[in-house]
Amino acid sequence: MNCQKLKDWFDERYDTSALKKFAGEKLVPSHRHDLWYYTGGIIVFLFSIQFITGMMLAFYYVPHADFAHKSIIEIVTKLNMGWFFRSLHHWGSQLTIFFLFVHLFAVLLLKSYRKPRELLWFSGFILLGIAVFFGLSGYLLLWDERAFAAVRVATGGSGALPIVGPFIKAFLRGGIDVTGETLTRFYAFHVSILPLATVFLMVLHVLLVQVHGMSVPLSLQERNLPQTPFFPNVVYKDMAVWLVVLGVTVTIATLFPPEIGQKADPLAPTPENIKPEWYFLFLFQTLKLFPGEILGLNGETIAILLISAGILALFILPLLDRKSRLGEKSTLFTLIGIVYLLYFLIMTLIGYLS
Amino acid sequence: MKLDYSLVTRRTFLNTLFGGWLLAFLSGSIIALLRFAFPTLGKEPDFVVLKADDFMNIPPNSTKPFAWGGKVGLFFRKDERTRVALKGVCTHMDCNVAYKPEERKFYCPCHKGWFDENGKNIKGPPPKPLEIFEFTVEGDKLIVARKGVKVELPKA
Repeated sequence: MNCQKLKDWFDERYDTSALKKFAGEKLVPSHRHDLWYYTGGIIVFLFSIQFITGMMLAFYYVPHADFAHKSIIEIVTKLNMGWFFRSLHHWGSQLTIFFLFVHLFAVLLLKSYRKPRELLWFSGFILLGIAVFFGLSGYLLLWDERAFAAVRVATGGSGALPIVGPFIKAFLRGGIDVTGETLTRFYAFHVSILPLATVFLMVLHVLLVQVHGMSVPLSLQERNLPQTPFFPNVVYKDMAVWLVVLGVTVTIATLFPPEIGQKADPLAPTPENIKPEWYFLFLFQTLKLFPGEILGLNGETIAILLISAGILALFILPLLDRKSRLGEKSTLFTLIGIVYLLYFLIMTLIGYLS
Repeated sequence: MKLDYSLVTRRTFLNTLFGGWLLAFLSGSIIALLRFAFPTLGKEPDFVVLKADDFMNIPPNSTKPFAWGGKVGLFFRKDERTRVALKGVCTHMDCNVAYKPEERKFYCPCHKGWFDENGKNIKGPPPKPLEIFEFTVEGDKLIVARKGVKVELPKA
């Protein structure tokens, strides 16, 4: 198919030569760590699956405490392919967050955050935070017992922060308790506020990558690396990877549709053996380490403060790592990165097994 | 009056005027939006009135839940004679606790917190004991109240 007339029509009105030139000249360095470049593209692909399946689910979901649980059961039992799209949305979110963590740790250990790419790190970090909040808010929409307890704990935890805590807690809950008010609030976050923020930040993030080009690890930057054209070589490779990711997601979604628990009841005891989603396990496990009281202070507050400090330190890491900013080897920060990675992996594993 | 010299150019003046207007407008809007987004908070009740028959004669060593505002209260019959009303919400992170009759303890599964039969935190992360309420029986009414609250029922 060759729509020459359409092309001419467009070209007579818009000058796209600069864009074409940029696309034609865009090169991607090839080296032994270039596998990690694909994680970014995978996340964009998975996010688009989330957007499409989410829009479809929104046709039928009812964001009200009395009907939410029932409407999801109807989606998975009565609608054509409803079970599949809900399952795909569920597993898509799991994989998105998984690849976001892989992407984060790859960038961290290869030090791609170093000057001049600090804004990429910041925007990516915020996107990870948004994705986790996406997960939590989407999870509550189920309105089952486990979701109810999970959101109580997560919002209650933010309440332990000094001074601002109670405000954040009340803001998230829409009142003093997790109620139907919380459900509508989280629905608004999940389907309107977070998606818009995601699109904005993701466009910014990808544009910044175009401005800076791909980052090359410190150890390789002196060398003359072979370059591969982005169009069409890398695009084809990207698409091949996406096809594999799509296949894996669809397979998991078909074989393991997520369960729906009993409808949330504020007066029922919390179900036994309750566990948060896997990406909260490292926080969950950290909280369990702290006793109720440390030297007369509230252990929970100390735990939340330490966790917040740890996350904040990771967020501003590009500003702290002076050596790699100057293009020198920065062993200390490699170690810090490994410590973060190991802490995350080990705590998640302990949380999973215990 | 025409000035020969001015410290402020026309451009600076206009920029300040429009910038100030924009700033005032935006800050006003943002404050209004935030105040709208922030919920009007209800509060926990000072007391609730229940039917005495439903609660006073539950079997010993068992609990029965009641609604304490949006949270759960537990009416606990420790033995034949002792009855306690308490808030069934863990003091660590607000999960609902469950009573384990065989161990005579309250348990919170969220972070494995334990409270003894008097509501005292004995194991795990909870920082404080469970909140104990006072209760009185008036005729067929069971009145559960926060400690130190004077209950005045409307005359009916």
